Amino acid sequence: MSAAPSALERLAAHGADGFPHLLAARARTDVELDRLRTRFAAVDRDPDVAVVLFGSWGRRELTEHSDDDWLLLVDGPGRAALRPDVEAVRALLGAGARKPGTQGAFGTVSASRDLVEHIGLEEDDNRNLTQRMLLMLESVAVVGEDVHRACWEQVLDRYLAEGRSDHRPPRFFLNDVMRYWRTIAVDFAGKHRDDERKWGLRNAKLRTSRKMLFAGGLVPILRCHALRGADVRPFLAAQLALPATDRVADAFLSAGQLDAGVRCLGAYDRWIGILGDVAMREELAGLDRASAPDSRTFVEVRRLAAEFQNGLLALLFETSLAPAVREYAIF
Amino acid sequence: MMPVSALTDHRPLLGHHPVGASTGFLVEDRGDWPRLAERAAALSPFTAELAALSETELPGLASYLAHEATLPFRYLSVHAPSKDLRMSESKLVDTLARLPAIVDAIVVHPDVIDDVTEYRKLGARLVLENMDSRKGGGRTADELVPYFAALPAAGLCLDVAHARDVDPTLAGAHDLLDRYAVRLRHLHVSSLDGDGHHVPLTEADEAAFGPVLRRCRDVPWILEAPLAP
Repeated sequence: MSAAPSALERLAAHGADGFPHLLAARARTDVELDRLRTRFAAVDRDPDVAVVLFGSWGRRELTEHSDDDWLLLVDGPGRAALRPDVEAVRALLGAGARKPGTQGAFGTVSASRDLVEHIGLEEDDNRNLTQRMLLMLESVAVVGEDVHRACWEQVLDRYLAEGRSDHRPPRFFLNDVMRYWRTIAVDFAGKHRDDERKWGLRNAKLRTSRKMLFAGGLVPILRCHALRGADVRPFLAAQLALPATDRVADAFLSAGQLDAGVRCLGAYDRWIGILGDVAMREELAGLDRASAPDSRTFVEVRRLAAEFQNGLLALLFETSLAPAVREYAIF
Repeated sequence: MMPVSALTDHRPLLGHHPVGASTGFLVEDRGDWPRLAERAAALSPFTAELAALSETELPGLASYLAHEATLPFRYLSVHAPSKDLRMSESKLVDTLARLPAIVDAIVVHPDVIDDVTEYRKLGARLVLENMDSRKGGGRTADELVPYFAALPAAGLCLDVAHARDVDPTLAGAHDLLDRYAVRLRHLHVSSLDGDGHHVPLTEADEAAFGPVLRRCRDVPWILEAPLAP
């Protein structure tokens, strides 16, 4: 029996062109995940440890050039000796150009206790915030799926422990998701104050993939305003188990905004096509702030990003979500 | 319980963002581009269409845009000339192609196109507008097929009043949206008088256009005539 079509596939059926790049990237992610799981099957693993991938793996948008942003995730407090250890994972993931991002948040160990107990205040540093948000919004287990799920549920329950009322989005979770998006945007400016390297590619990702990450959290949380308190956890658990593009597509379908949804995800689909094109990706990576406006590729990405954002704004401000946005998303 | 948006949807203009102005109706300042841009920004700093409807207006607009880097618009359209066309098509398209990167869209009437391949130079900034019933082509989704086939990167500007002029049931407007959904970049919104001129949107037309406008929540709406007081 074939699986029910995803929200992305159902939305694609309303457009003439579909979302070919996104659906191809999903298929690629599935194939590569299977391959990785086979390689990790022979690796010894403690029962409270998972190997988890983030970013394009978690969004199921893998291209040939995606990084392997991975973590060894421990359920509970951290400890020194783990199976597998960091070196064993490094031998199988993140070789060469697929090396995890350079900010130190990945390619290391993370303990669920830190992610759950350090929400806010000094100990919730950039690294902890990044690991927690990506765990919640775009992560997938290579091995240790039960551990990954348990850690994920602990963080969700910590967010929801602050209160779950009828027809109110969980504000603690909402504030942390919004804080993370603003942190990404501010850190982008900080990162490039003195160093323009890779400005073009990072700026393009901020406008697109990072915004999808944010929208994929923001939209389901705001949709909780239509729910009774008891329904919030199952709704969020079901939504956040989906790739971000499915969450956004589902919101457009639910709001009856099919045309805007087709354009929004259509623009994002073309961005994924650009990201998978070696020449265009390298062109973007080589651009600094001054040269970007002269690049046809960058200008096209900027146009697609505007279409993508306009669709999200229409979803947030011109559907039945608008009162919740006004009530909860600013203050 | 009925969502609030359903209660306000009979006046789609009230709930939409961004709505901006075409300078085409600011006739008293025609040719004075700093003044026209200032007036358009006063109406909406988010989006506008600078309309060089006559070819004689284009050099002044191109010069103004080349030296003006501080316009506030998040989406800026330029309406290419459709009247008084004298220069060669190649030269006209080259002039349009050299407009600076702050211009997001260049609206062209398909009925003035002779050599469609020339317009490929405009890339994804080219936006074709559906024509009214007085024109000989480019009026319907079918008539736009050869243009979009030759210009795969081009977008669509849906002129709602033109679409209604061609098909008063508005089925033609819905057909344009069905067939060219991902090409849609912005709307032209107004009513038409008996001679096909753009006039302020009437309340009756706004209500009639509602089902079409509601399909276009995510794109800028450009008013081609002032709103009625």
